[in-house]
Parts: sequence; structure tokens; C-alpha cells
Amino acid sequence: MNSKNSQSNSLRYEGCTLTGALSVTTQVQDAVTVIHGPAGCTHHNFSLLHAIAAEQDDIRLPPLVPTALGESEIIFGGEEALAGTLRRVADEGPAAIFVLSTCITETIGDDVLSVCARDHGLPVIPVPTAGFLGGVFSDGLNAALTTLAGLAGNEGVGERTVTVIGEKNLEFEVEENFAEVERLLGLLGVRVGVRFVRKMRFADFSRLGLSSLNILRDPALGPVGEALKRRFGTPYIDSFPIGLEGGVAFLGEAGAILGIDPERAVEAETAQQAEMLSSFADMRGAAVSPDPLTLGSLEYAPVRRVMASLDLKADTGGAGLPLPYSPPVGTAGIRRLLHRWRRRTHA
Amino acid sequence: MRDDMKQIALYGKGGIGKSTTSANLSAALGETGLDILQIGCDPKHDSTRMLMHGAWIPTVLDLVRARGDAGIAMDEVVFRGYAGVRCVEAGGPEPGIGCAGRGIIATFQLLERLGALDGDVIVYDVLGDVVCGGFAMPMREGYAEEVYLITSGELMSLYAANNIAKAIARLSKRSKRTCALAGVICNAKNMEGEEELVREFASRINSTMVAYIPRSRTVTLSELNRQTVMEYAPESEQAGVYRRLAGDIMKNNRTSIPTPLETDELEELAIKFTQV
Repeated sequence: MNSKNSQSNSLRYEGCTLTGALSVTTQVQDAVTVIHGPAGCTHHNFSLLHAIAAEQDDIRLPPLVPTALGESEIIFGGEEALAGTLRRVADEGPAAIFVLSTCITETIGDDVLSVCARDHGLPVIPVPTAGFLGGVFSDGLNAALTTLAGLAGNEGVGERTVTVIGEKNLEFEVEENFAEVERLLGLLGVRVGVRFVRKMRFADFSRLGLSSLNILRDPALGPVGEALKRRFGTPYIDSFPIGLEGGVAFLGEAGAILGIDPERAVEAETAQQAEMLSSFADMRGAAVSPDPLTLGSLEYAPVRRVMASLDLKADTGGAGLPLPYSPPVGTAGIRRLLHRWRRRTHA
Repeated sequence: MRDDMKQIALYGKGGIGKSTTSANLSAALGETGLDILQIGCDPKHDSTRMLMHGAWIPTVLDLVRARGDAGIAMDEVVFRGYAGVRCVEAGGPEPGIGCAGRGIIATFQLLERLGALDGDVIVYDVLGDVVCGGFAMPMREGYAEEVYLITSGELMSLYAANNIAKAIARLSKRSKRTCALAGVICNAKNMEGEEELVREFASRINSTMVAYIPRSRTVTLSELNRQTVMEYAPESEQAGVYRRLAGDIMKNNRTSIPTPLETDELEELAIKFTQV
């Protein structure tokens, strides 16, 4: 019936809050996420999450259930449809249910919070999203991380571990980037406990507060790091290490916070970086032409320094060479970047 | 749908007398032997009550809510009232939730599927305080071809009428024109200078005042007796007014695209005609 399809309405670059929130909540493997809205909102996100997970060799189907509102729920209100869906999902016995609202349920005024607050016999946790009305992808992601951080506890005593926070679950190199952080921490003799939120179990939230150091994926997650610091006094590092110097600085910073002398780790890492660079000596003096806008930005400075040390010339003409969507993490990130460039320049 | 069927909609501020005027108009038309369908498009669902001798007929959306829209039959939603007028109430969700405008759309789709939208004249009685896409739907989708604005001389009522004129003007800019303004009906509060004020308002928005309905005790008495004026006091002066309105509307084939006023123009107009 509503056939308005003007350009200004159809162009939207920053995505929907649902996708951002789902990139977090669907990583709690024993919980189910209910999307309160028309089936289409679920279908679209289900396809996207499933396709990306398959790229990352994860063949699980995303645990998503729609309330699948139709015409009559939109006219009369969808609260009972939500309650019914929650009952059905609860019968399946998940550890918890997350509830995300959409544009339409926000527009017709469903009171999602009060339906969630009823006794369902398991934790039912509303995540403030409201579809496109609620903002963009990053708003949904932050809302989900903040809500889930609110579930953190400090029960029991455990081994001193580090928590990784806010991994970009939809990025292609998510596992590689994590492996690099894990490797660097390994040089200090420290282990990663919880990945908040990637492939975790609902019960893991209860020990989030035991972490001795939180490592944020990027500085935009500052508010989550701050919230956990306020509640549990956990210090945090505000970003994964970017590039070679980032890796070395990360070892120093983590060592200082954890009271571990980083000297031997830094030595080992510096040696490994030199060895890695020398393996690309054949590229010395080559002309590469990465996208100048991305390359020129502040966060890609580590890439520019690597280019300088290998005497790579930035050539503005020719076919652009790919730069990763987010700056390369650690020594391994730089190695993968150079490897890709070498294949392109020799092709 | 027949090509020669006349479809008119009465829009106006809540409490201005849309339902009273619609019901008496339908009754007057029905008395001449025409087949009339009146559809109340207001969640309050009291448009056809006087035609039905005070009975609250089940609304379309009550039935849809209880049973879904599949198994609903014509005789469950269409009821015959005074002068053979067929009466339908759209109804709506519980106040404060859902989307009443979307409900109007669903009602029309159901009525169309049932083949209920026929006869000589369809009278749509639509609330005008909210001109959201749903309540504008009878105009937008080509149901309400001729729109009549009902107003008194009170500023708030003129303001609502002007707002509806904006909706008509906007809709008539579409490539497929579906509705037009057919006239302004003054349902008087008996204020000084009211008839002139509404006449002037009508002409300023590029239309004409097609009827002046004086305030009358006969209306109050009829409604206390749960009847239209046409039935309760057929010989009264007021019944004559509604009969004339019915005749004029049947003859009227002048429509226009309105030119709504700015708020200060409207206020200026009201001040000009108000006795201080």
C-alpha cells in the first residue's frame, strides 16, 4: 500500500541496528535471539549472518526466531505475538532469550520491556534496537554489547585471564585477528579467557568481571570498557594492536598493566618482525598503488611506515591494490597485506 | 464497482457533527429510493448509530481481531438501518496501541473483497483530526472521489478543515489523481457572522460553501430518541435542510483542487468575522 520509494529514502549507507546487535547476540551459542517484527527483518539478517559465518567456516545456523507480525498484529498491537513467541522459544530450553525490536513495533508502540519482564522461567533480555528508527549498525552493536556487559558478574575464582571485547564478528579476518592478539599475549605468558562476544556461552557472562585486563577491538568501544572498569575495576587497552609498532607497544602496555616484564616478549617480537620484513625483500623498490584516501588516514600510518621501510613507492595511477577494511592487526596483519600485494605486483 | 456510483467523504474535526450530518444525509438520500452505503471510519465507531436506532453494530476490526479476516461474511459487517441505508463501522484497535490508520486500509480491502462497496452512493464518514496515511487512504486510493469538509466558524474547526485541504492538495499533485474537494459544509454553532466566515474560508481555499446547517434543538431531541432527524422529525425545518443538502450533493459536479491557507491567514480571517 505504501509505495513511496524516493531516492532519499532508499539510500542508507550505515545499515540497520538489528544487524549490528545480531552480530553480537547470535554469538551467544546457547541463547536464542527473537526479532519482534515482520518476518522480513529476520530473513534478511539470517541470510547475511549465515553467509558470513559460512565464509568463516562456521556452519551453524544463526539462532534467530521472528515474531513474524502480520497485518492484524500491526493494527491491534503485537505484544501478545511476542509473548507467544517467547513461550514457544522458552519451551525449547535455551539458556536465555534476547529480544530485539524493529521499526514497526516501535511505531505501533508495543511495550517490549514489560512483555520481557514477565516470568518466562529463564532470562529474557531486551536489547534496545528499534530497527532503522533506532539508528545505524554501530548503534545496534553498541547497544548489544552494553546490554550484555550489564549481565557481567564476578562469580567464583579463576585463573588470571584476559578478556577480548567487541570482536568484529562480520569481518573476514576475525579469527586471524584474534589469533594475533592471542599469540602476542602468549609471549607474555597470558591466556585469553572469555571472548566477549564471540562463540561464548551464556554462563560465561557470570565470570566476565574476573578478568584482569580487557582488550577492546577498537577505540569506539570505549564506553563498554569504561562501564566494566567502573563496575569491576578492570583496566582496559582500547584497541587491538595495529601494525608492527602497535604490536610492540601492545606488549609493553599489557605487561605494565599485568605486572609482567615485557622485555623478552618485545625482543622476540621485534626479531620476528625483522624476519618477516626480510622475507619480502624481493619487493623492495616496487611501486604499489593502494587507495590513497584510506592510506592517507591516521589509522593507516603503520602501513605507510611499512611501505617506507621496504622502500615501496605509492603510485597514484594503475589498478588500486586492496587495503583491508580495518587497519591490519599486528605483525600477522602486515604479513598478510604484503603477501597479497606481492601476488598482485607479480601478476 | 459501478462507474456511475457516487462516492463522497465527509472529513472534519472531531465533535463537529460529521456523523450527525452523514447519517442525516444518508437517510435523506435513502428516502428518495437510492441504495446508500455509509461507512464510519473512526475507531469511536458511532457514525451509523442513529441510523441503527442506537444499536452499536459489530465493527469490521472487532471481527478481524476475533477471527482473522478469512471467514467473515457480508451480513456480519453490513447492517441495514433507517431508509434502507446499509451501515458499516470500521472500528479500530484499543486506544494507545497498534495502528488505526492501517486498520482503515484493512477494512477497505476486506469490504472490497466481499463486494460490499456498491450501490448508488457511498458516504464515508472519516475523522479529520488525524490525517495520517491510513485515514487519508479513502482519498488516496480513489474511494472518496468527492471530499466535503465539515466545519463550524470556530478557529480550531477551520484549522482542522484547512489541514484536510492540505492533504487533498498534496494528493492531487500525484500523477494519478484520485480525489478532489467538492465543497465546504457549515455545521453552525450559531456564532455571529459564522455563515459569512465559512463562506469566505471556502472561497479562499478555492471551493464553495454548499450548505449552511443551522444549530437546532431538533437534532438534540432526535438523537436523544436514538434516531436521525429524517426519521424522528421528518416535517421539521432541519429535515428540510438535510433534504436540500442531499439534493445539492447529488447535483453537484463541481470539484476543485484546494489552496490551503497559512495559519496566520486563517487567524486573520477568524478575527475579521468575530464580533468583539
